[in-house]
Order: sequence, then C-alpha cells, then structure tokens
Amino acid sequence: MNLNITTDKTHRYDAIVVGSGMTGGIAAKELTEKGLNVLMIERGREVKHIEDYDTATKAPWEIEHRDHITVHSAEERWANRRFGTLASDATVEFMTNDAQNPYEEKRPFDWIRAYHTGGKSMHWGRQTYRWNAPDFEANAKDGYGVDWPIRYEELVPWYTRMEKFVGISGKAENLAVLPDSTFLPAMPMTPPEQHFRDMIDKKLNRPVTIGRVANLSKAQPWHTALGRASCQYRNKCVRGCPYGAYYSSLAGAIPAAKNTKRLDILHDSIVAEVMYDEKTKRAKGVRVINQHTNAVTEYFARIIFLNAGSMNTAALLLNSTSSRFPNGLGNESDQVGRNIMDHHLGVGANGTVEGFEDDYMFGQRPNALYIPRFRNWGSDKQTSYLRGFGYQGGANRSDWKRGTAQDGFGASFKQEMTQPGKWSIGFGGFGEVLPNPNNRLTLSTTKKDKWGIPLIVFDAAFGENEIAMRKDMMNSAMEMLDAAGFKNITGNNRQDVHLGLGIHDMGTARMGKDPKTSVLNKFNQVHDCKNVFVTDGAAMASSSCVNPSLTYMALTARAAHYAVDQLNKKVL
Amino acid sequence: MMNRRNALTQLSLMLGGTLSFPTLRAMSRLEKGEVAVSKNGGFSLTNEQRSLIAEVAEQIIPKTDTPGAIEAGVPAFVEMMVQDCYREPEQQSFMAGIEQLQQQNFLSKSNAEKVEMLKQLEADTKEQMKAYQVKQTKMGDNEDKEVMKSQLKGLPFWRLMKELTLLGYFTSEKGLNANFEYVPVPGKFELIKLKPGQKLYAY
Repeated sequence: MNLNITTDKTHRYDAIVVGSGMTGGIAAKELTEKGLNVLMIERGREVKHIEDYDTATKAPWEIEHRDHITVHSAEERWANRRFGTLASDATVEFMTNDAQNPYEEKRPFDWIRAYHTGGKSMHWGRQTYRWNAPDFEANAKDGYGVDWPIRYEELVPWYTRMEKFVGISGKAENLAVLPDSTFLPAMPMTPPEQHFRDMIDKKLNRPVTIGRVANLSKAQPWHTALGRASCQYRNKCVRGCPYGAYYSSLAGAIPAAKNTKRLDILHDSIVAEVMYDEKTKRAKGVRVINQHTNAVTEYFARIIFLNAGSMNTAALLLNSTSSRFPNGLGNESDQVGRNIMDHHLGVGANGTVEGFEDDYMFGQRPNALYIPRFRNWGSDKQTSYLRGFGYQGGANRSDWKRGTAQDGFGASFKQEMTQPGKWSIGFGGFGEVLPNPNNRLTLSTTKKDKWGIPLIVFDAAFGENEIAMRKDMMNSAMEMLDAAGFKNITGNNRQDVHLGLGIHDMGTARMGKDPKTSVLNKFNQVHDCKNVFVTDGAAMASSSCVNPSLTYMALTARAAHYAVDQLNKKVL
Repeated sequence: MMNRRNALTQLSLMLGGTLSFPTLRAMSRLEKGEVAVSKNGGFSLTNEQRSLIAEVAEQIIPKTDTPGAIEAGVPAFVEMMVQDCYREPEQQSFMAGIEQLQQQNFLSKSNAEKVEMLKQLEADTKEQMKAYQVKQTKMGDNEDKEVMKSQLKGLPFWRLMKELTLLGYFTSEKGLNANFEYVPVPGKFELIKLKPGQKLYAY
C-alpha cells in the first residue's frame, strides 16, 4: 500500500474532507488556509493537473477515433453514455467505469460520474450563476420542500469570495432575476447573437446576456500565482486545460490548499463509513477501503466535511450506522437520500439564420448565451406549473459536418465543404425541479459492490410540474427564435431524459430549520452530529434553475469558516 | 528483447505517432490481462472489399489540388471506425452496402458509371433514412434504448460511408492542413469578416 502520509503517522488530522471535486477542493482550501491540517480523500485515481491531461494538446488526427467512443468503452460507461457526448475518445479515461461501479434503478436515473482527482470539476460546463433572492424563498412561498434556513444576503460575501477566486467572465446586467457576480471581461456575442438579443429585447422585453463562465478571460495576479493563465480559446476544456484557464479543483483549490503545506491527499480510497463515537456524541473519523488492495484504514479528525458528490454523500450517511443512528448518520428525519433534484434539460428549439455570410470568428469561444428565467417572475404567472427555467445556447456557423446530411460527392462537393455553411441558432432549457420526498435513493439490502459497500438504488422521476414546464420550455424557445426572424424552427423535447442527466443532482441531505424535517442546519452541520458538515449539492433545499456549482462553493466556504470559528471557540 | 507494446509503440512512432495515449494505455491493460480482447461483432473485410471502400471514399473526396481520401488515409480509418465504434446493426448494413456494390461489379465500371451508381445509391439512401428516422422517433420513453436500437436496422451504408469519409478526411493531418488553417492555440476570440478565398480555421 502506498499511502502518501508523512506528516502524521497516527492518521489523525484536524479535518477530513471526503471528495476532491468542486466542493471538496474549496473545503480543503478554506480549512487549510485557516490553519487546519487536512486530509482530503478521493475514491478514484490520481490525476495530476496538466501532466495527466494526456489528450489536451493533441491534434484532431492524434485522437484515434476522432472524439467518438468505442463500443467496448461505451458498454463499460453505460450510464455516462446517456449524456451522449461527455465520454469521448479524448475523455473516456476520466469518466467512471459504470460496469465496475454499478448502481440499481427502480426508475431510471442518469448518473454521470468522474471518479478521479478534481471529480466532475474537471469536465463541468463552467456556466456560473448566483441564485437570486426569491430562489431562497421559493419553498416557503409555494410550500414544496422545506424553507431554506438562509437567505440570499447571507451568501453574498461568500459568492463574492468564490467568484474572485474562481474567475468568472461575464457582463453586469443589473437584473434582480440574475444577480451580477464579480466579473472578468465578458466574451463577445457573434453578430447573429447580437441580433437575437436586440430582437428579444424589442419584441418580448426579455434580457439575453453572454454566458457567465468560469474561464479566465483575463487572469488576475491571484490566478497566475496559482499557475493559471488566461483562456486561449481552444474550447477543449473538457479534456483538462494545460493553461489552467478554466476553473477546476485541480487548477484552483487544490494548488491553493497545497501551498499551505497543510494538505495531504489520499487517492484510490473509498470512504465506506463515517464512524460515530457514542461517548463524545461526535463523529470520530472515517473508515476507508483502498480500491485496489481492499485494505481498510481508519482516519481520525475533529471535523469531517462530506463532499463526495450529492448522491454518494447521502449513500455514505446511510451506510454510517450506529446505535445512536440506526438508519444512517443524521437520518432521524428520514430525509437522507430523499428529495433528489436536478435540472431537467434536453428541451428547446433550433433554427437557421439568414444572412451574416461574411461574419466569421477567430478562435473558439468556450461559452454561449444565457436567457434568464422569465416565467413566474415579475408579472408573469403560469397556471400549469410553478417556478421557472433559463436557456443556454447560441449561434454557430456550420462546417464540413453538414455534408453528411447533404446531397452530393466529388470535387465540387469537396470544395463546398471547405467553405462555411449557414449560421444556425439553438437554445436548450434548464428547468427547476421541485423537491419531492418520493424521489430518493436507498441502499440495496441484497447487492454490494466489489468493496462490500451496498449499491445505491435510485427511485426517482420527474413530476407533473416538470413535464408541464417542459412543454413551455420548447414552445417559448420556438417563439423567441420566431420573434428574432429565424427560419426552419424546430422544437425538441427529448423524452429519454431522466433525473441525473443535468449532472446537477442535489438535495439528498437538505438544509432546514427543523431537525425533524431536514438533515443539516444553516451552517451545513448535521443536526445531531455537529462536527459533520455536508456542503456539496446534497445540502440543497431547492434547486433554482441556474447552474449550481457557485452556490455549492459559497456554502462550502461559509461552512468552513464557521467550522474553524467553532473549533477556535472550543464549541467543536 | 522488445515486448509487444514496445513493438507497437515503435510502429506507431514510425507511422507518425498515430496511436493515442488511451490506445497505448489500453494496450498496456490488454497485456496485463485486464481487459478481454473484444471482437465487437464479426466485422472483417476482404482485400477486394477494402479496395471498394477506398474507391467509394475517393469518389466522395477525390484528389484535386489537395489530397484525396486515399492519400489522407481515410479507407483504413473507415474500417477501424466501423470495427471499433459501431454495433452490429451498423456493421451489418455497412456490409450489405459493400456486398451490393460488389454484386454490381462497381470496381470494374468506368468512372462515369461509378458516379451514376453512387448517385442512385444516394437517392435510395434518402428513402431509407426517412424510414430510419420514423423508427427512431417511435422509440418509447422508458423502453431500453439500447435493446430498441439493436432491433433496428443500422444506418445505411452510404450514410455511414459519407459521414466517416468526411470525418476521416477533414480531421486527418493531410486533409485538415491542406484545406484549412490549423490553429491549435488561437490565444484570443475575435469577430472577423471573411475575406474572399480565405481558408477557414480548424482547431
């Protein structure tokens, strides 16, 4: 066994962070910077920033199957492949092998995982938005789920802190529905996109803005100090960035935490259980299984942050039983594993754009447009569904790929394919999902994985609200493309989409005011085991419709500072 | 003594380093016995069939003042892709298309006749695609998509051939560099106006 521990032979730390992804990275950064010795535990293999992005700088012809995936790899990654494009020839080695990490589905759940250093933060879409103030009041207002124990204002300083650290390119719009972040320079809209923005403003009075994206349009000194550089506009982010230009745990939080010399990272180490101490009424540590050797080791700490990814964090709580918590750590409310939310997507519209024939771009923009929520907002009242959705999309000029569906072959066809085709434009919605206690995961009572840990069983599906919203998401997208004067408009509403496909899975250990109906308090502490903090997506009491990572990170930083404060005050 | 992987790595270097890291890693795993050799259906081609693919690919993307499909290595690419990345329905429809052209003695025809045959094939394929798309949209919501797919007829030969020829050609080192300006690191994103005769960018 090759344990990378030299600083503490007794396996004792101030803090343990389970997971190295989007929130695990921030937890480790904030805790180490506050002076704590931290052990970060990652279940997957080690990926070294830059060094291990082995396809990042390859030319198209050096990617053997040219971004397609082999049947063999696709079969191994049966769940990941439901997303379609994520596991490609160039990225497949970073996507979890579902055949080796199976799960069960009472109802279909599209579970997309990336078990390695940095987790999904290496592959995320990088769209980064603040929630708005009413998002935190939505549950209280319409009665779905439980009320958030915090409000927007309490997160503002943490949003700002994270935005500065992460680096977000975007344009300030001063919209209540989409509060501005602290921005780096915005990326430009293409001329057809500018036309679209102007027409939607004029005809429908709806704002359209350039996407807010975690790519360094202009690296700041604190970014370059961590070895990060400005975006080179290759748009190959998903392979890992050799410039560290988009934010990932690998490029940002982990290097920052390492700089303190107070971070140890354990790889290939699956946390099977959080160990509870009946005497102190606190968690005392974690039991870890090495994924290759099956060796079991215990690690101990004063506080434990769970950032394993929403679904795995809930499963870990459920698997951590004791006489105090026979149904899983912190599960007296029976809410652990329930209220699975996500954003439903795969619905929108496309059209073709006439004109703009001499407009072209140099470079590839790793970003698109954003249309903020306009439904059930302001004076808009929908009768068929609650809450709302946003759109992401934009305009592109077609290239040789159009030739597949086009007639012709031979010399003139070849020549034509070297010229740009028409512009096309399309938008897809991201819809809010209501919390529903019947959308849940449990642990299998009969089946275990190869490490002896019970398999997760998913039993969740979209409800009437989501299905009704989707109809409007398609129709409204078509309406907007029409308002802008685009042609050949076709709507789409994929029917083979399940919870999980948005890869914004969340909600399985929700925050709340009442321990009887929630798992975590307003500082993300497990109600009855206060030295355990859950700060990944599991903590979410509702889902908003904007991309969630920034909110997860803000909650994590806030909880980490609170935890250190409580340790200093000897409350923890 | 050189082991198999070293030999293959060496070969790949001689061929211009065309084997990607994942492939080399897969080879290494193969040697360690970590993965079974999967034939992925019974797809294999005779030399005559290989010649036929090469001829069809060259008809789609002929040599002009820039290299054609054959020079860019498209025929071997097409075969590899059908072998590695497509399931049985596509492999079967691909094979059916080849056999049909063999029966029509495609290779021994004049160039004008070949063009006519492929035009007819394209027209027939359009009809087949209509039926294919109807079947696609009839697939149920909660049905097992993969099972449904395997019961469907694969994409028609011409459609596969055209897609893979375009992909193989325009992403090949020769095809890409001859037709486009390769910009691996743009360094900026700029809105520009196309100039007459300007080469497009490839990234």
